[in-house]
Amino acid sequence: MHKLRDTPCDTEADLKRLLKDVVGHGRLYVLGLGNTDRADDGAGIVVAENLKKPFPEFSFSEHDGVEGTVLEISEKDEVASVVFVDAADLKLSPGSIRVVKKEQIRETEITTHRVAVALMASILAKTGKESAVVCIQPGSVEFRGRMTQPVKKSVEAIVKALAELMSQGDSQAR
Amino acid sequence: MRELNVEALARVEGDGGITVTLDGKKVKSVTLDVHEGPRLIEQLVRGMTPEDDLTVIPRICAICTLSHRYSAIRGLEKALGVSAPEKALVTRELMMLGENVESNSLHTFLLALPDFLGYPSAIAMLNDYADDVKRALRLKKFGNHVMAITSGRIVHGENPIIGGFGKYPSRKALEEIKLKSHELIPDAVRDVELFASLKYPTFPEAEMVFMSVNAPKKKFGFAGDSILISNGKEANVEDYKKLTSERVVSHSFAKRSLYQDKPFTVGANARLINMGKRLDGQAGDLFKEHYSDGWLKNPLYNNLAQAIEMLWSLEQMPEVVDKIMGMEDPPNEKPTRTTGSGTGAVEAPRGTLYHHYDIKDGLIDGADIITPTAQNLDDIERHMRLTAERLLAEDKKDEEIRLGLEMVARAYDPCISCATHLVTLKRI
Repeated sequence: MHKLRDTPCDTEADLKRLLKDVVGHGRLYVLGLGNTDRADDGAGIVVAENLKKPFPEFSFSEHDGVEGTVLEISEKDEVASVVFVDAADLKLSPGSIRVVKKEQIRETEITTHRVAVALMASILAKTGKESAVVCIQPGSVEFRGRMTQPVKKSVEAIVKALAELMSQGDSQAR
Repeated sequence: MRELNVEALARVEGDGGITVTLDGKKVKSVTLDVHEGPRLIEQLVRGMTPEDDLTVIPRICAICTLSHRYSAIRGLEKALGVSAPEKALVTRELMMLGENVESNSLHTFLLALPDFLGYPSAIAMLNDYADDVKRALRLKKFGNHVMAITSGRIVHGENPIIGGFGKYPSRKALEEIKLKSHELIPDAVRDVELFASLKYPTFPEAEMVFMSVNAPKKKFGFAGDSILISNGKEANVEDYKKLTSERVVSHSFAKRSLYQDKPFTVGANARLINMGKRLDGQAGDLFKEHYSDGWLKNPLYNNLAQAIEMLWSLEQMPEVVDKIMGMEDPPNEKPTRTTGSGTGAVEAPRGTLYHHYDIKDGLIDGADIITPTAQNLDDIERHMRLTAERLLAEDKKDEEIRLGLEMVARAYDPCISCATHLVTLKRI
């Protein structure tokens, strides 16, 4: 989970509006982060896995390798944006969604277990690519626990919003 | 009295702290206070089948996941009287090479290098060293790929099992690994040259004792059944308790280890000091070129050792892949008994990792896991104390002392959920 500064995003309409503001034109890639062993902490992965079906070349999860995926996208000669999706402790009610623009990403540290999203965003920015993080407030991060209902609903809403934007990006790129 | 705090010792994993208590210019004590709660994995697996144990124990660590799995497999196979087929052994070699590239590229570039170049993080380095950061990420990506191909997925792969593999990598996947590893060798050479060009401060220097597994057939490698000690001795891995003499300390949830009542070091530097003469290829040449007596006293050289080892891992891959492709897929070997004991030892990227199992009637009756960082903790404290003493004697500023302490801690590449998180200098 990430601890990130948030931007209000209380409805699906807010989510689409904010994401549209961030992703701009061109291809939209999605990279889901998290740990599916820990209930709602796997929300980002579930979003990415759902989007893989309609967008197999544009949706990736942490299981595909975060750094390698970002590196490949950064080296593509195309207008593109990346939306990272992850659970985040926002101190809000479970399932709450927030969009964090790259300038607002507070996380600065890399650990042995995780390369910082801030580094990934910086690498993407070097080649003119936008990025943002969609954060979901987990209700439970219990080991081997099940995803809670509020987070399930949020995952569905995020998948829907991102699928719409990815379709638009796909047609623009063509 | 005054306190000097480092708000979070970054670029390590875990929740703990270092407290340096000072009386004037004298260092009264240095403690590595581990706050991360005990995880009780060894108790958790009691009563499980060996197969279930293999699913649980890699969760100890997401980056050394294959080392944990392999060490457990080695211990369990000994306990159950299993001799894995040659193809399984060589495929396990490949997965360890992948993990080594994945982990060493991350630690050297993204965690350790910023200290040497004067940056607070790899993110800050990006403006001036974008190519180097990207090179590290390319190597990490490839290491991850090799891990996924051999184990089934990037993290916590289930494919390596007792007696063999669920499924052996396809010829196509192996050929890709062979090609790509060859392509990445120049990147790894550049990494060695970069780390060899760094200035390694002498403040933590002291005589050290190094331990690593003794890879079979007088070759360099990451698994073995005996332990080499830099004092010239060798011990069977079954005697791991005598080598580590674990004890509990009041300020830490992580156990500590001593060898003959003294701290010792495990890690890439230990491996190269004990087995470096066995390195071949460019890695062997560069080791000979850059090895110095400083390695025997200074833990900071672990960074250079990791860079050399990463190159060796890449250089080995084509040969290992050829061996795997030259063998038919054998059937997996089955246990020949249901009761027994065995100890496995492998070289995780950050040092020797032991898994001991007692099995009774087909179920785990006892487990003992000793991680590399737990073995290194006393040594880290010792070298941090020397660092604090020497930098204080030189009237260094608090910022410089803080950086020195952090560099020493990071050099060991600590990878525990009980690594350091806060440095406190208490002056009395």
